[in-house]
Amino acid sequence: MSDLHQTKGESIMNESTWTPSEEIEIKDFVIESGSSQPSLIAPSQFSKIDAQELAEVGVLFDNPERAGTFVVQDFHTVCSQTQAEGLEVLPIADALKKYDWLQKKYAWKLIDPDTNKITRFCANQEIPQGYFIRVHAGTKVKFPYQAALYTTHTNIAQAIHNIVIIEDDAELTLITGCATQHEISSGVHLAVSEQYVGKRARFTNTMVHSWGPKVSVRPHSATAVDEEGIFESNYVSLRPAADIRSNPTTWLNGDGASARYYSVILGSTGSHIISGGEVYLNGKDTSAELEHRAICTGGQISQTGLLVGSNRCRAHIDCSGMILDPGKKGFIESTPGIRAQHPEAQMSHEASIGKIAPEQVEYLQSRGIEERQAISMIIRGFLNADIEGLGEELDARIDQIAEMSGHGEGL
Amino acid sequence: MNNILEIHDLNVTVRGDEILNKINIEVPEGEVHAIFGPNGSGKTSLMMTIMGFSDYKITSGKIIFEGEDITELGLTERARKGIAVAQQRPPTIKGVRLRQVLDYAYAQNAANARELEDLITANGMDKFLDRDINDGLSGGEIRRVELLQLLATRPKFAMLDEPDSGVDIEALELIGEMAKRLFSIDISHPAFRRSGLIITHTGQILENVYADKAHVMLDGTIEGCGNAQIVLDTIYDSGYSQCLTCIKRKVNQ
Repeated sequence: MSDLHQTKGESIMNESTWTPSEEIEIKDFVIESGSSQPSLIAPSQFSKIDAQELAEVGVLFDNPERAGTFVVQDFHTVCSQTQAEGLEVLPIADALKKYDWLQKKYAWKLIDPDTNKITRFCANQEIPQGYFIRVHAGTKVKFPYQAALYTTHTNIAQAIHNIVIIEDDAELTLITGCATQHEISSGVHLAVSEQYVGKRARFTNTMVHSWGPKVSVRPHSATAVDEEGIFESNYVSLRPAADIRSNPTTWLNGDGASARYYSVILGSTGSHIISGGEVYLNGKDTSAELEHRAICTGGQISQTGLLVGSNRCRAHIDCSGMILDPGKKGFIESTPGIRAQHPEAQMSHEASIGKIAPEQVEYLQSRGIEERQAISMIIRGFLNADIEGLGEELDARIDQIAEMSGHGEGL
Repeated sequence: MNNILEIHDLNVTVRGDEILNKINIEVPEGEVHAIFGPNGSGKTSLMMTIMGFSDYKITSGKIIFEGEDITELGLTERARKGIAVAQQRPPTIKGVRLRQVLDYAYAQNAANARELEDLITANGMDKFLDRDINDGLSGGEIRRVELLQLLATRPKFAMLDEPDSGVDIEALELIGEMAKRLFSIDISHPAFRRSGLIITHTGQILENVYADKAHVMLDGTIEGCGNAQIVLDTIYDSGYSQCLTCIKRKVNQ
């Protein structure tokens, strides 16, 4: 028998196989502060350092073009304000006390609290932390609302439960910045988000993450979209955590509903990131688009996703990766998935992984552009290829990633 | 007259294979020289080497630009010194728009912006500005986009690689006008010209841009040079080998 693939009994496995991150043991982290709920403060009362940290993830305290600000710092909500009519924001614990219907109709209805130990932990919080956002029917909130989930102490477990309700014909753009203070290296961020998009409503959720190098992140996000509702989810991982496992799920239940996911993941050495996304196209004439973009500078990135078409629908998933420097163990793995359960479900997928072509860099250099700047331009182009209408905030974040990865800087 | 470009005994390899051998060229300030030669003779390699593309390794010899030895200089530095090339087959760059490159050029040369915007509108090139560079363009469109970038950067020394190959008559007219404009530093003083090199097989571009001299390349070497029109006519009438015999006889006399 020929032995073309193995010699001398050596393993054909190379070093770049998946290094699974260890399961989170929540008990290893500080799970409560022991302190009581502090008084709420205004955005202007945050320290300069905190303001700078949160500005990096798109939460800008001095920007007048914001509909309001919400901040959870470590274990407590420290800021909750809104200045737009028809936009209601409360700490989730207060909202659950105020509205009986919230518990009955919305809380833990999209995510089963018994899904896993993380959801159980979030569900069992005595005083749940997180935001309740409700946009009343017909209200189109002009400026984005901003929320920060912020960790300022080392080795804590921050548990969050958010509920967003965009009522019929309403519109909201939400910017959620999740970050650890720069000197905080370890901790866990556990989050459950349940989001409801009403008939003809539009909800854009732009999430920007910036984590310490030993932080584990486990977001559980679920969204239900009613008739002709539109849900857009943008996710940018600016400073990658030790490990992130994210698989946001959307149910397009109403006819004509649509969803678009766009993610930009940067995987530097030591990070393990699984970036997924599931969309169930249940209504007639629903549509979904998933765009994953990943840049590998030594980390391990798995791009996944599953679109399930059970009605007349259109759906496309595109996973694209760029390997800048895989180091010893880095890689990008792409497994876009589609499942059609209806003869009129038109579904497609594509995946590609490559490097920056030197001839492209040199072409730009021949126009007088510095090599580093040329690389940044190409990365920026890769991240933004064929995706229009990104907000200024996300654009700025993506520019930052392109700039930093083009310069080969550790992130 | 000072030479803007001098090449002395240049030997170049690509991935270990010698492709240019003992090249010697002098281009005086304000002159445009044509380069003729059959396919594969090394014409494009010569331009790419002068520009500084990394695949082209100089093993010996020197490139002198405006009196300075630039043999060891990188691509960006050479471009910033005023050397530019309009490639025949430039790469496509997904996600990078032509407008971005033009904006970069305008930032270095703001006075150029308005003048060029008029040219863009007049030539119907607006539609290319927000497209990915060279993506899905025809041969004629690529050449126009390349020339546009050179017009934006205003180099001291412009090199055009077969600007007239594989384009229809209408496109050729536009390309000819753009090339003429590129080499005319001041339209009211025709004798005051930008310097450069033009590779052409058909010589059609030379109807718009006067070539002061022609060099004939064969197998990676400059075999001879002479009056551009006479050399071109001889190539048309009798082929490259007869043309070279003719040039060498003249040199020997």
